Amino acid sequence: MAFELGIITFGEVTPDLSTGTTPSPQTRVRETVEQAVLADQVGLDVFGVGEHHRSDFIASSPVPLLAAAAARTERIRLTSAVTVLSSDDPVRVFQDFATLDLISDGRAELIAGRGSYTESFPLFGYSLADYAELFAEKLDLLLAIRGANPVTWSGRHRPPLVAADVAPRPVQDELPIWVGVGGTPSSAVRAGALGLPMALAILLGPVNSHLPTVGYYRQAAAEAGHDPATLPISINTHGYVGRTSQAARDTMFPYFSVGMRENNHQRGRGFDLPRRAFDAQATPGGGLVVGSPQEVIDKIATFAELYGVTRANVQLGFGGVPQREHLAAIELFGSEVAPVLRREVRVPAAAGA
Amino acid sequence: MSRPLRVVVVNGSPRAEGSRTMGLAGLVTDTLADLMPIEVQRVDVYGLGPGFTGAVTRDDVTAEVEAALRAVEAADLLIPAVPVYRGSYPGMFKHLFDLVGQYALANTPVLLVATGGSDRHALVLEHQLRPLFAFFQALTVPVAFYASAGSFDGALVLDPEVYSRVEVGLADVADLLRARLQDG
Repeated sequence: MAFELGIITFGEVTPDLSTGTTPSPQTRVRETVEQAVLADQVGLDVFGVGEHHRSDFIASSPVPLLAAAAARTERIRLTSAVTVLSSDDPVRVFQDFATLDLISDGRAELIAGRGSYTESFPLFGYSLADYAELFAEKLDLLLAIRGANPVTWSGRHRPPLVAADVAPRPVQDELPIWVGVGGTPSSAVRAGALGLPMALAILLGPVNSHLPTVGYYRQAAAEAGHDPATLPISINTHGYVGRTSQAARDTMFPYFSVGMRENNHQRGRGFDLPRRAFDAQATPGGGLVVGSPQEVIDKIATFAELYGVTRANVQLGFGGVPQREHLAAIELFGSEVAPVLRREVRVPAAAGA
Repeated sequence: MSRPLRVVVVNGSPRAEGSRTMGLAGLVTDTLADLMPIEVQRVDVYGLGPGFTGAVTRDDVTAEVEAALRAVEAADLLIPAVPVYRGSYPGMFKHLFDLVGQYALANTPVLLVATGGSDRHALVLEHQLRPLFAFFQALTVPVAFYASAGSFDGALVLDPEVYSRVEVGLADVADLLRARLQDG
C-alpha cells in the first residue's frame, strides 16, 4: 500500500471575512460535497467529515454528508473525523457506517473519538462525569458488533444485547475503525492495547511534539501482543497549499486565526493567534502543514519519518476559508503534493489499513 | 509620544546569537514593538570581557562596561533574560547586577524572561529573579515569561501558548509603559 493523503472538514459555518455575510447551511452542505468530488477527481485517498454539534458547523451528522459524497465519487475513501462515540449508540453508529459502506462499494471508515467539544453530551443525555468510561465501553461494544453477528454484550451505560442481529453488514470484511487520539497518553495506550489504527490529531507546536504519544501507542501495542509495525497511524493536521509560500500563509492565516479564537482561550477570553506565532508554525520545525506544494511535501515527509505514519489527513479550510480558495488548495494537494509523497514515503508493507 | 521606549535586554546566555533565551526575548521585544515605539539595546554579559569580569567594584570597570551599566540603569523597561544554570541565573549575570547602583533601578519596570531545559525550572522566575529585583525596589511586573527547550526549534519559539502568554502579558503592562513615556 502506498502512503495515503486525505482532507478533512468540520463544515464550519463562518461569516466571510471580507463581506461579513454568513453562508447558509444549505450552501455549506453543497460546498462540502463539492470538496469531496474534487478530492476524488484529483486522486486524493480520503475525505473526512468531523462531528460538531453547534450552529457554527453543519456536520453534527457526518454520515449523510459522506453518503452524499459517496454517490458522487468513485474511489476516495470516506471517513468521519471524528465520530463522538462517547455520546452515541454503537449499534446505530455501526448501522450508519455499514450502510455508508454499501452505498460507497466498500469505501467507508470511521474514526472513533471521545470528543474534544462536549456539546453532544447533554444533547443525548450523557454526563461528562462518565467521559472516559463511556468511551471505553462504547468502543468495546462497537468492536464486538464489528466482530460478530449476532452479538451478545453487556455493559453499564446501555441495556445488554442478547444474540442481537445488527444489520446491514458492510461490504468490507472488516469496517476500518480508527481511534482518534489528541495527545492524552491514556488514549494512545488504549488504541495500542486494542491493536487499532491511531488517528493522531495535531494542532500546533513543534513538529516532533507527539513522539511520546506515538511511543506510548507502539509500546502498548507490543505489550498486548500486536506487532506495532503492522498498525497504521495517521496524522490529522491543519494546513493549506498555495502556489507560493507567502500566498499560502497569507490565505490561510486570517481564517485560521479566527478559527483558533474559539479554541485558544487565555483568562477566559478568545484570543487571536498572532501572525508571528502562525509563521513559526509554518517553518520546517512547526506543526502546521502550510506552504507551497514543496513545503507541504517536506513537512508531511517529516511527519512520516518521525512517526512512521501511513496516512496524512489535512484540514485545508479551517476557520471558513472561502470555497474558491479551499478548492484551489485541494487541487494542488491532490495533483502536486500527493503523487510525490506516494512515491517517496515508504510505508511498511504490513501496515495496510 | 515624543520618543521611543528605551528597552534594555540583559542577556544572561553565553551565546549572543542562536540562543533560546534571546529567541524568547526577541519574541517579547518584537511583540512590544507592535504596541508602541521602542528602541532595544542589548547587554551581553558574557561579551563584556575582562574589563567586566576583572572588576570587583564599579570603580574597576572599563568605559565600555560603564556605558553598559548606565544603559541598564537608565532603561525605561528592563528585560533580564537568562538561561537556568544550576537552578538559578548564571553567575555572570549576577555579577552585572552586583555592579549596578543599589537604588538605580527603583521603580523601573522590569519584565522577567527565562528559559530552561524543562518545565521543572519554571519557578526560577519567581524564586530567583523576582527576589533579586525586589532588592532593587524595581517595578517587576506580575507576568513573566518562561519557555523550556521543547518549545523551540533552534532559537525560534514554536509553542503557540508562549506567543499567547507574551501577548496577554504585554497587553497588561502597555498602559503603564505608555504612561512612562508621557511622563518622561
